[in-house]
Amino acid sequence: MTAVLELRGLQTSFVTPAATIHALRDLSLTVQRGEILGLVGESGSGKSLTGFSINRLISPPGRVTEGEVRLHGQNILALSEPEMRGLRGRKIAMISQDPMMTLNPVLRIGTQIRDALLAHEKLDKAEVRRRAIAALDEVGIPAPEDRLSAYPHQLSGGMRQRVAIAIALLHQPDLIIADEPTTALDVTIQGQILALVQRLCRDRGTALIWISHDLAVVAGLADRVAVMYAGRIVEEGPVDDILDAPAHPYTQGLIASVPVPGQRGGRLQQIPGRMPLLTDLPPGCAFAPRCPRATEACATMPALTPVNSTRAVRCVHPLIKGAEA
Amino acid sequence: MSETVLSVRNLGRRFGSEGDFVTRGLRRVGLAPPPAVVRAVEDVSFDLKKGEVLGVVGESGCGKSTLGRMVAGLLDPTSGTIDRPDPGGKALPMQMIFQDPFSSLNPRKRVKTLIGEAPRVHRLTSPAEAESYVAELMERCGIDPSYADRFPHAFSGGQRQRVGIARALAVQPEILVCDEAVSALDVSIQAQIVNLFMDLRDEFDLTYLFISHDLGIVEHISDRVLVMYLGRVVEMGSVDRIFDAPAHPYTRALIEGVPRLDRRRTVYAPIKGDIPSPLNPPSGCAFHPRCPLATDLCRAERPDLRDMGDGRQAACHHAEELTKEGEPQWPATQTG
Ligand SMILES: Nc1ncnc2c1ncn2[C@@H]1O[C@H](COP(=O)(O)OP(=O)(O)OP(=O)(O)O)[C@@H](O)[C@H]1O
Ligand SMILES: Nc1ncnc2c1ncn2[C@@H]1O[C@H](COP(=O)(O)OP(=O)(O)O)[C@@H](O)[C@H]1O
Ligand code: SF4
Ligand code: SF4
Ligand SMILES: [Mg+2]
Ligand SMILES: [Mg+2]
Repeated sequence: MTAVLELRGLQTSFVTPAATIHALRDLSLTVQRGEILGLVGESGSGKSLTGFSINRLISPPGRVTEGEVRLHGQNILALSEPEMRGLRGRKIAMISQDPMMTLNPVLRIGTQIRDALLAHEKLDKAEVRRRAIAALDEVGIPAPEDRLSAYPHQLSGGMRQRVAIAIALLHQPDLIIADEPTTALDVTIQGQILALVQRLCRDRGTALIWISHDLAVVAGLADRVAVMYAGRIVEEGPVDDILDAPAHPYTQGLIASVPVPGQRGGRLQQIPGRMPLLTDLPPGCAFAPRCPRATEACATMPALTPVNSTRAVRCVHPLIKGAEA
Repeated sequence: MSETVLSVRNLGRRFGSEGDFVTRGLRRVGLAPPPAVVRAVEDVSFDLKKGEVLGVVGESGCGKSTLGRMVAGLLDPTSGTIDRPDPGGKALPMQMIFQDPFSSLNPRKRVKTLIGEAPRVHRLTSPAEAESYVAELMERCGIDPSYADRFPHAFSGGQRQRVGIARALAVQPEILVCDEAVSALDVSIQAQIVNLFMDLRDEFDLTYLFISHDLGIVEHISDRVLVMYLGRVVEMGSVDRIFDAPAHPYTRALIEGVPRLDRRRTVYAPIKGDIPSPLNPPSGCAFHPRCPLATDLCRAERPDLRDMGDGRQAACHHAEELTKEGEPQWPATQTG
């Protein structure tokens, strides 16, 4: 079965007369039907850019400079812009941290859903209304008929995010890219959104990339996890394997910095230093300046190397045997 | 750890106006709507003991920051009192640390000025010692003293937070009010700052009011926890009681809803409904529209904050039922 999404050696760069910054390097990923991939890493590691690159929404001076983005086996980087527009919102949908990036503040909810529907389908008025109400109902908005005439500012943050999700789901996309969609929400509202996307992926077989800096959210949601650092994937595999036995020292450091429920007080394990700037990367492994296992051998960039048939790690001295790059 | 450094009694803060003279007149004869008053904080009482960390949790808009700003002396209460039994001669005994120190750090001032200004004004250092005083503070907070001449924009988020902490410590405060002080930081940096807070507590016997919506951090750092809902305290007690056996359904919903590293493929069955508007709070118990245990009594009467007998207070008509042994598990999350 072909994967819904396959990234092959993706590179995204910002090219200016002054300098060329490679913000994403050698990015390869696969997401299957119905699968939830958690994409984690600290701020600036390239998570959002990965989402934008897949959707071909990088604006100049940035562009995808190498690699392929395959949707059901087809390289969409080779499509014309009109062809790409036919995919966006229909086959690939995006949900962002701030629902107001999706919603227009001066248009009623009903109008926005109508426009999104008519962008890809021919429907009569009654059909539009029926579909709009069904979409809002599906994401758990009470009294959806009444909400059609509401403006975004009349809804709470959690409701707005639901409307954005309802719009993302209108055309039953094959792939949803969700960029920190619950980061700005309270834990109670976050739980509601998590329950919602879980159900959708299970029932509809939608593939989902859930971008987050919060490992715990990803733990509860994802089937697989990919960890990014300074524009590269450093480790990737099934959620239980990665979280219970991380192979990359950075993944281990991330996991250890999260407070363990029930273990109160005491010091948290911390990763010293911080992520280097893309303009100031060390040679070889970008994590080396912070890594307790670093040796001279780490001055050469290790490849993302399979540990077994389901996971891979990019490290010269990985924490599990048989994974040496 | 028994000396009380701060007593807060029946503290309240309202926002919004009663309207001008004409509006008030019209209202009296029933021709204008009642005033839109937000009761951001109502009837909050607690003591802070020296060296203790009191965590404050609750959803957005429940009044955490308003409470913090009043405690730090940055906002006047509209009712109630804040007492420090022993003023101890400190110039600025309360300092506040914000989520984004960038907006509270003057971008045109060098770090050494930002940190050194207040202690000089309050004569905590002599001009001769000023430089080494600042350098020591920077060192203590994990910023290289050689950066003293830099401006705030030249620092990362984590470093700026350290500058904010160093600046607060410079006036030798007794109490730090931290409002979402680590919320904007990445986990690896968050751990560095949390560790710094704990070290400073051990070293200087600092007392903290630690406001955060992140329950994981609050559970880790706090001795006691205060849970707010719509401006009021709904539960308060030791971190162990609150997290191991919450007595209020809202506390329980919050804790159960927290994603955890050890909860995989969680089936979330979250609490329903939105956070109600503080402009128009529900009748009786403000939590009743979302509470699975709500009864007619809850809809009619607001529960008082009551002593639960284990050093904990809760404001729920049915708190005893929730803490009873062998009670069926709350229907929140399960791992499948
Ligand atoms: N200056 C103000 N004027 C009017 N209303 C205000 C003002 N400051 C706060 N409020 C209101 O008071 C209530 C409590 O606000 P507060 O900022 O304390 O919430 P919070 O618990 O800190 O929320 P968050 O988690 O979003 O920071 C909210 O309803 C808010 O809209
Ligand atoms: N327009 C741009 N010009 C130059 N660099 C950029 C631009 N947009 C993003 N970057 C850089 O690319 C990196 C990854 O950014 P991003 O994908 O937003 O990170 P994340 O979502 O993981 O926080 C960062 O170092 C960021 O500074
Ligand atoms: S390659 Fe070397 S520096 Fe990089 S993570 Fe592995 S051990 Fe550490
Ligand atoms: S008083 Fe009633 S509605 Fe309020 S929390 Fe307790 S059980 Fe729920
Ligand atoms: Mg991002
Ligand atoms: Mg606040």
